[in-house]
Amino acid sequence: MSASRLRASSFAPLLWVGPAMALIALVVLWPVVIMIRTAFQHISPDGFILGWAGWRNFRYLFEEPDLYGILIRTVIWVIVVVAATMLISLAMAQLFNQNFPGRRVARWALIAPWAASVMMTSIVFRWALDPNNGVINVFLHDIGWLARFNTDASDWLGSPGTAFAWMMVVAVFVSIPFATYALLAGLQSIPTDIYEAAKVDGAGAWRTYRTITLPLLRPAFVVALLINVINVFNSFPIIWEMTRGGPGHQTSTTTTFMYQLKQSYIGESAAMSVLNFALVMIVVMLYLRATAKRREDI
Amino acid sequence: MRLTCRTFLAGGLSAALALTFGLLGPVSAHADTVLTVVAADYGTGPKDSSQIYWQKIADDFHAANPSITVKVQTVNWNDFDTKIQTMVQNRQYPDITEGDYFSNYAQEGLLYKVSDVMTDPSNLMPAFTKLGSYQGAQYGMPFTTSSRTLFYNKKLFAEAGIAGAPTTWDELMTDAGKIAAKGHIGYGMPLGPEEAQAETLLWLLGNGGGYQDASGKWTINSPQNVETLEFMTKLVKAGDTEPNPGTKNRAAILEQFAQGQIGIVNGITTLLPIIKSAGALTDADWGTAPITGKAGPLDSTLGVCDFMAAFKTDGSKQAAIKKFIDFALSDKYQIAFSQEYNLLPGTVSGAAAFSKLDPALAPFMAALPKAVQYPSDTVWAQVKTQIQQQIGTAIGPDPKSVLDSLQQTAEKGE
Repeated sequence: MSASRLRASSFAPLLWVGPAMALIALVVLWPVVIMIRTAFQHISPDGFILGWAGWRNFRYLFEEPDLYGILIRTVIWVIVVVAATMLISLAMAQLFNQNFPGRRVARWALIAPWAASVMMTSIVFRWALDPNNGVINVFLHDIGWLARFNTDASDWLGSPGTAFAWMMVVAVFVSIPFATYALLAGLQSIPTDIYEAAKVDGAGAWRTYRTITLPLLRPAFVVALLINVINVFNSFPIIWEMTRGGPGHQTSTTTTFMYQLKQSYIGESAAMSVLNFALVMIVVMLYLRATAKRREDI
Repeated sequence: MRLTCRTFLAGGLSAALALTFGLLGPVSAHADTVLTVVAADYGTGPKDSSQIYWQKIADDFHAANPSITVKVQTVNWNDFDTKIQTMVQNRQYPDITEGDYFSNYAQEGLLYKVSDVMTDPSNLMPAFTKLGSYQGAQYGMPFTTSSRTLFYNKKLFAEAGIAGAPTTWDELMTDAGKIAAKGHIGYGMPLGPEEAQAETLLWLLGNGGGYQDASGKWTINSPQNVETLEFMTKLVKAGDTEPNPGTKNRAAILEQFAQGQIGIVNGITTLLPIIKSAGALTDADWGTAPITGKAGPLDSTLGVCDFMAAFKTDGSKQAAIKKFIDFALSDKYQIAFSQEYNLLPGTVSGAAAFSKLDPALAPFMAALPKAVQYPSDTVWAQVKTQIQQQIGTAIGPDPKSVLDSLQQTAEKGE
């Protein structure tokens, strides 16, 4: 075998993956570079670059009086929404793994919140919560829980606390289908003979679930969890459509805040993006570690 | 073998490049000139969308000038400023805009001077020349104008036993309280992002305040303004307004007034067709009065003007833009617009012709020359955005800190 042929064959894989790598470099890596560069530039609100800003954009960002509230709110948003989603999805997946008449229809129905545009779902909820004539308020009024329309009690999206709670409900609602399907796939991959063995050994339902189902479901659970964390962290349409982050920034997360900053302060908005990017990268690292471990397990 | 690999690589790369650059949009290969017009939508639904109004002008214009095609896009008021700003930030300039005008675009050198794109600039309403100017040159062409006034629901006033429209803040609070006690909304206060800067200014004027003093110095956090916000907070806390005004937009409040659920609002003439289409109030059920001030009604109200502006882009379309602007600002279309939305024209000849047709609007027109206007500074764009986002939070225990931060935005500039 000649040396040149050897070199050609070691080059071959690069030629095959080259185009994909070029595409990744152009559409993934290059925007990241631009984002980081923008965070250090002084840019006019109309998009004209006026020079370098050093760390000033970051300083302005950390001087924003609302930033710390927004960061804390983002953490609460992610933890509560993901935790509620995963718990409900565990139960849903268990249910959908049982044989019952109409299971096929029920499984199809579960896709609906996922298939519908999140923006559409958010607008429907915003209308349903209208303080004057929203259907949820009309219902509460009819059963006697709501005394009067156009009051603080009926204005769910007007005050930050109740608005944020309702937005979490919507976020959980649209996140459940994916998590449930991921867990359902995990459940179906557990061999039935293990359950049969457990039955023969006389294990009860709860013990079987805790010692067989949950451990074997772990890989699917971790993947669904981390993907959900990333999705919920980046969630924009729910908050934007329901409150636009208002009043003030009292229902903003870092994602909507970044968008609002962009209107007037592009550099500062890019600094916020860098911070968001760093946070997402941490989660991605966790995800990669989790999936790598899973591969080793197999 | 090698050849194949290389061909494959080249093919793959060019596919990747095509994918990337394909997103930048096709290069126009038209021999015709294409003008893009981005306009705010003044309508309340698909039936009276401004898209229809502009499309008719575009079609008529194309029929008269077959070599020029005009593409029209209308954007609702909630998103208009952001949309234009984003287009500018991305260097995808429209040729002509109609809606809010910002002097910062003139400052950046992005706009044509009015004299470059209009045959007779002296026909533009002179009351708004300064607002549409930057450093002495005019860039914004008044397209439609309006002045604010107080609207009240006579039916609800009678139900609550109130004789006439309020003239002072104390009267307004008493009246709104009586109406609220009957289970309606006393005063509609739209401090949501859509147009909070207008409602806020009307209140500030009532206490001798404003965004700037006579010399153009920013006075957003002046003691009078703090006092004004404190009074507004009192009104909200008493339950005399809709709940959480900081999250309620103008369009929704005007709709609710038209449905007969609100006693008092600061409105515009555009409320007239909304009242008509809602069908809940007859002409005898509502009235207008001067805006209420702390000690008495305002003698000069807020005058608002929406402008046309022409972007230079590569400078090749100036002649076509000039033709179109002359065409669109002709009396015929000015009157059609004013009739459709109950607004006032932006041109002198249009206003003269229109006041003959609709004498009811003559007093609004007379109020325009001495009307108070928004600041014309380049930083106004940022200040306005911040007011829209933040002023709702000034309704609360600490209005001063919110006004302080707005003042800081204005002074920081860019």
